[in-house]
Amino acid sequence: MQPLNELTITDARMLLDRGEISSRELTQACLDQIQGLNGALNAYVGVYADDALKAADRFDIRRSDLRPLGSLDGIPVGIKDNMMLQGKPCTAGSRILEKHVASYDATAVRKLLEGGAVILGRTNMDEFAMGSSTEHSAYGPTKHPRDPERVPGGSSGGSAVAVAANMSLGAYGSDTGGSIRQPAALCGTVGLKPTYGRVSRSGLMAMASSLDQIGPFAKNVLDAATLFSAVQGQDSMDQTTADEPAFVPEWKKDLNGLRVGVPRAMWEKGGIEKRVLEQCENAIQKMREAGAEVRDIELPYADEGLAVYYVLMPCEVSANLARFDGMRYGLRKEALPLFETYVRSRAQGFGAEAKRRILLGTFALSSGYIDAYYVQAKKVQTLIRRAYQKAFDEVDVIATPTAPNTAFKLGEKLNDPLGMYLEDVFTVSVNVAGLPALSMPCQTDGGMPVGFQLIGKWFDEAGLLSAAHVLEQRLK
Amino acid sequence: MKLTVEQVGHLAELARLELGEEELNTMTGQFASILEYVDRIQQVDTAGVEPFTMPAKDEGWRKDEAYVCDDAARDIILSNFPSRAGDLLAAPGVFQTPKK
Repeated sequence: MQPLNELTITDARMLLDRGEISSRELTQACLDQIQGLNGALNAYVGVYADDALKAADRFDIRRSDLRPLGSLDGIPVGIKDNMMLQGKPCTAGSRILEKHVASYDATAVRKLLEGGAVILGRTNMDEFAMGSSTEHSAYGPTKHPRDPERVPGGSSGGSAVAVAANMSLGAYGSDTGGSIRQPAALCGTVGLKPTYGRVSRSGLMAMASSLDQIGPFAKNVLDAATLFSAVQGQDSMDQTTADEPAFVPEWKKDLNGLRVGVPRAMWEKGGIEKRVLEQCENAIQKMREAGAEVRDIELPYADEGLAVYYVLMPCEVSANLARFDGMRYGLRKEALPLFETYVRSRAQGFGAEAKRRILLGTFALSSGYIDAYYVQAKKVQTLIRRAYQKAFDEVDVIATPTAPNTAFKLGEKLNDPLGMYLEDVFTVSVNVAGLPALSMPCQTDGGMPVGFQLIGKWFDEAGLLSAAHVLEQRLK
Repeated sequence: MKLTVEQVGHLAELARLELGEEELNTMTGQFASILEYVDRIQQVDTAGVEPFTMPAKDEGWRKDEAYVCDDAARDIILSNFPSRAGDLLAAPGVFQTPKK
């Protein structure tokens, strides 16, 4: 039998339910893998071995009493370091929260605990989820599992590596402009950003509230559906959670009748690695072979999407991070007058990327510039949403590469913020439009992972995941 | 759009951030390339287009009400205070000035 930590959730579920393996064995296998690899990869910034084993034992007792709680009961998972778990540190990758302990459970985390999931620890991330490489963590960079000189992507790089390196069976991250899909692409896992409004963000440390969404990393599409199901749903603590029918998987056997739109202009805009294009082209061909009708589509404002994002996001960042003033929690560097306490606490607590975005946002919201930047960006956002609406009149899913390149070298883009921002060129407009999208590995040549992105209609995760599942079988 | 070092310094003050001279120069340089990229939104014709807003839920659903937290949560909240006097949060006085 394969090592237990390499199992998919689907297989582990079957073995657990039959009593062929225990959750303790499964959890211990993940903890052993963490013990062996985390020193080199830095995927986890906190590991809760004792709590995890206790939770596993509770499952094993429930199972023997025939009282399992649900699809994730007894399954070991990781959570990003911006999702609060009561009594455990939660730092969002920032120095300013180094000593901060979560006083309550995030709604998504509470759902995991109530469903019996075993939480292994918290995973590394770019500070306050700002970055595309996990190099902007105050706790050191996370390394790519296949080449430790390369980045895993970001900001949820720790969660991506935890899954890719079998240090957990699944993991959760947050996606504001690609922070689940891009690291999933670079590490070769499946990553799902659900529709805005699907998953409560109560207890998720806010980056850009109109764009943030929690979602899973998984070894395959079935597992992603299971992980997503477990945390979805309306929540009175997050007003943006939508009153929509719950996601229920609808697996189809082929892609007959599925209309796939390919925004050619985006594919051909240049700056995209040749191998990425080839492998994604191959995935399109596989979709065709599975019965899909593939057509080129126009998607206007594709270029403006990234620009809109890099106005709206910093504006919200500057507002959301204003709460870190050294008063009620977080780092305080006391000095007089009070103003000095504020500026010193924030100067020492925030890293360079956080400061850069706070300043950009402050600029774009400042008197004299707000109309040209923030308000104009909100208007272009309206046009981007309309463009997607129109596109989805003609097609059911839209396909693009997830990232323009495969995993790049550590440090390569660290002093080139714009270059780092361009990493998000295929992913951000999905957040600007609030759509669901998934990244799945599509390389068939054994090289570094290449991510293929499928974008679905609002709240059509069922259609999106089903299409991805069929393609996944075809790529094997 | 290009910002001067002085303008970025002013933004830093508004954002309650203390930046060293070197940091300020680096940021100013990086801003130039970022803003040049971002400025493409100015070319989009948005005449008659409304800024996007999420439709709000009717009345919202959560009443604001006093919430009694349990001792465990209370202890964590207190332990997260950067400075305390007993169970109270200690903070520098608003009108306190440095001792001469």
